[in-house]
Amino acid sequence: MTRHGIKRRLIKISLFSFLSIYTVSILYPILLMFLTSFKTTREIFTNPFGLPASFEFTSYIKLLTISNYLTYFRNSIIVTVISLGTIIVITSTASFVLAKYNFRWKNFLYLFFVAGMIIPIRLGTISILKLMIEMHANDTLFSVIIVGIAVGIPFGVFILTDFIKMIPEELSAAARIDGCTEPTIFRIVIIPLLRPALAAVAIINYIPIWNDFWFPLVFLKSDSVKTVPLATALLFGQYQTNYALVFAVLSMASIPVMLFYLVFSKHFVQGLSSGALKG
Amino acid sequence: MPGKKKKEVKLFMVLFLLPAIFIYTLFLLIPILDSMRLSLYSGQGLIPTEFVGFDNYVKLFTQFPFKDRMINAFSNNIKFFFIVTLIQNIFGFFIAFFVTRKIIGKGFFRKISFLPTTLSVLVVGFLFKLILNPAWGIFDKILVSLGLENFILPWLGNPLTALPVLAIVVSWQFMGESVLFYTAGIDAIPEEVTEAALIDGASPLQELWYIIIPSILPIIGIVTILIFIGDFTQFDIVYAMSTTQANPAFGTDLFGSLFYRAAFSTPVRGGWGMGMGAAVSTVMFAIVFTGVMVWLYFFKLKGQKND
Amino acid sequence: MIKRISMLLVVLLVFSTFTLSAGGNKEAAGEEKVQITFTSWRTEDIERMNRINAVFMEKFPNIEVLFQPINDNEYDAQMRAGLETGTGADIIFLRSYDTGRIVYDGGSIYELNKDLPNLEGFPSAAVKAWSTEDGKIYAVPSVGVTHGIYYHKDIFDKYGLKEPETWDEFMAVAQTLKDNGEVVFAQGALDDWTCYEVVFSGLGANFYGGEASRQKLISGDMKLTDKPFLDAFKAVDQLQQFFPKGYEALDYVSMQTMFGTGQAAMFMGGSWELGILEDLGSTDLGWFAPPVVNKGDTLQYCFHVDAGIAMNSKSNHPEEALEYIKWVSSPEYAQLLMDELPGFFSYTPGDYPLKNAIAKEMIGAASDAVLTVRTVWEKMSAQSPSGNSLMGEAIPKMWKDEYTPEEAAAYVQDGLATWYAPFKK
Repeated sequence: MTRHGIKRRLIKISLFSFLSIYTVSILYPILLMFLTSFKTTREIFTNPFGLPASFEFTSYIKLLTISNYLTYFRNSIIVTVISLGTIIVITSTASFVLAKYNFRWKNFLYLFFVAGMIIPIRLGTISILKLMIEMHANDTLFSVIIVGIAVGIPFGVFILTDFIKMIPEELSAAARIDGCTEPTIFRIVIIPLLRPALAAVAIINYIPIWNDFWFPLVFLKSDSVKTVPLATALLFGQYQTNYALVFAVLSMASIPVMLFYLVFSKHFVQGLSSGALKG
Repeated sequence: MPGKKKKEVKLFMVLFLLPAIFIYTLFLLIPILDSMRLSLYSGQGLIPTEFVGFDNYVKLFTQFPFKDRMINAFSNNIKFFFIVTLIQNIFGFFIAFFVTRKIIGKGFFRKISFLPTTLSVLVVGFLFKLILNPAWGIFDKILVSLGLENFILPWLGNPLTALPVLAIVVSWQFMGESVLFYTAGIDAIPEEVTEAALIDGASPLQELWYIIIPSILPIIGIVTILIFIGDFTQFDIVYAMSTTQANPAFGTDLFGSLFYRAAFSTPVRGGWGMGMGAAVSTVMFAIVFTGVMVWLYFFKLKGQKND
Repeated sequence: MIKRISMLLVVLLVFSTFTLSAGGNKEAAGEEKVQITFTSWRTEDIERMNRINAVFMEKFPNIEVLFQPINDNEYDAQMRAGLETGTGADIIFLRSYDTGRIVYDGGSIYELNKDLPNLEGFPSAAVKAWSTEDGKIYAVPSVGVTHGIYYHKDIFDKYGLKEPETWDEFMAVAQTLKDNGEVVFAQGALDDWTCYEVVFSGLGANFYGGEASRQKLISGDMKLTDKPFLDAFKAVDQLQQFFPKGYEALDYVSMQTMFGTGQAAMFMGGSWELGILEDLGSTDLGWFAPPVVNKGDTLQYCFHVDAGIAMNSKSNHPEEALEYIKWVSSPEYAQLLMDELPGFFSYTPGDYPLKNAIAKEMIGAASDAVLTVRTVWEKMSAQSPSGNSLMGEAIPKMWKDEYTPEEAAAYVQDGLATWYAPFKK
């Protein structure tokens, strides 16, 4: 082997080691969270590093009995599914019009939407709270859902308009000759081709909507409408001295998103990268 | 006939656009503007009712403790932003550079790097608060087992360490995002360019310097502006690791936590009333807006001129 | 791809409707039950409060009381927002004086005079903490708490130490423990309210002259920078040398756990922590009142009016909530409370045997002491910057040597002078 080859090899080994250390720094805290949730408080003190003595779900069972965790979980699912579904529908229709038709306010409208990507909605919290109180929507899932949709619109329009522009005009023209109305063209020509982009929009919005803590904290008060992050904060405050339980609370909040990511990771990367390169 | 057809088109266009415009305007744009209006009001309740002109701003910019808290949050936020930007850009770039080389397991490394980003900031904050607990947290125990017990500090109790610790935790969590963006940027470099360079005998370092870095410059801009917007509205990490009191003694106070405390807490816990809260959020808007304008000027408008 | 996602979404929706119907069934089973929610800042008490409420629910089988506490730091913000938007709990824990006053001045609390005439028989000082000048009462004065020093008898015995009476003896005890390598106090400065509410108000009162000086402070006839108050700051500053390593980062819960599991000799705490410390397995617990300056001085005892129980004026179940409030003002509740939560002292008139020996000591100390409440709680915490938050900042900074005691006192004094009228003159 040449000197050059050895050098290359050494570089590769050091790169590999660096990346391995980085990976351990990511996985260890997460693993620790799961493992500790199976320990007893005594074990947490005496055996912080090792495996738990037994994998009993005591803390998880306790968590389900002392709190309405299934309700929180259900609420989070409802909020996420409805927000994502609505975002996809209303941004794809709007993007279709913005991408395929010419009218006077077109460019202005596009910029109007896209500007929202750099406006942090939190800064409007006080006014949104006022609006919700006036609409009697405070303390309902609707309040969190509608805010989730509003946040998702700018990015959705941004990605989808670009994507629809790339769909060749000939396809629509052909359908038009066949006598299709414009909405039908949208439905049968555009939507099927748009699926990967719609998936990207859904995936990109999934994490912030599922994990949102700020608006639930401000709007939601009743136990029956709490979402998982809000419940996590509440339970963390209530059971601070029961360490195993607290770790179980954190694990429960993390499992759904991590599983979702691991299953769809390829699409996450594609969706987010397309956003990055266009931005 | 054509006239009628045109009219139909218009109606469906309106119907297609309207829901998005309606929700976006009513629940995002108007509230931002309306919050600015509310910053001119004062009152004890949840909705400020008494018009006070610019009094809130006068208080915020001239009086103790309002001025002091705001300056404190501003300087903390700048430091926080600096640390996060440095870590995420430098490490993020190099990790991305490494995982785009021919290395065993690069797909796995890529995948794992994004894992913490999927978690909620709240969970990550709570988790690290437990890990750093001075009485039994595992971090100090690791230091002891490495023989580094002299380096144990009251991580979350000393303002000199607490703020950087929070910044590092946030960087740890969002590193995946930078890695992903930089990886996308490096992957997008046409292969012919890289190959041509290698044929010309360019070393990996030369490739890095002459090909990769110039082509990912806009991505540095995107990563940085995203961090900027995120950090100047960051609340969850302070809530989870330092409570809304931004322990120790406002040492970890950022604009996001200041806003929440000012608007929603009672005076005993450092609350200032909703009107003052709205004033704080307006100041935050001004900061974010300025930052975005600077970014547009340097990265966007200049870039377009070159096109 | 989109197919897989939509499949997943469908599965999730089906799952959620399943859990929804499961939840619905639960409600259907107890159809006639009215659920009232009860919120407090006492997250530590969930199990104990559930046992107390179980007694109520046995008496009133049609009412279900759901105890939903919120942790202390967040409590006031969340509770107030809930009340003002008509989504708050039916029964709430209300803090005394200004913090509670903001809430009932806003009209969110049901006025009790008409429905609970027996409140007149409660100690007037306690009733006053939750009523307006014209005598409208908004909460049942429920809990009074005291402040003192817990210690582990085993550790004291090991070095032949006795409960100190004077400050000098107290410092000598601490020094002995320190010299022998013990962790002296399980004290931290992260949750800064403990520094002021427990350490300064509890231990400082003997230095600044207790209730008499506090009244002069309220009227503006004394300043925090006057010698008596300054002495209190100086005394509190002396304690820092006995704090554990890393005390800056030790939060409230960790302090309790540290002392409760026997890792420190002493803990300056509130009476409300007695149950928690016992739950943590302390069997050798001892307690003494804040040491006086000179032997034979009268104890200036911080016996704080802490929690009142109030009713949401917009409750969806006003009758049931009122039923609960009435029960809370009964001797039966008082006895239950003091049995379940040792260290919580009820204001309900009557004689109640205390089971807990330390609780007895705490109440015993009051018999020949002058009682007072926390230093800047009344009137001086109504606006921003509140006395509470200024104290909470100043004391940890003094411990960390960022402020001298003089500077700490001046910081609070000057901060209050920005709005507190009697200090402006």
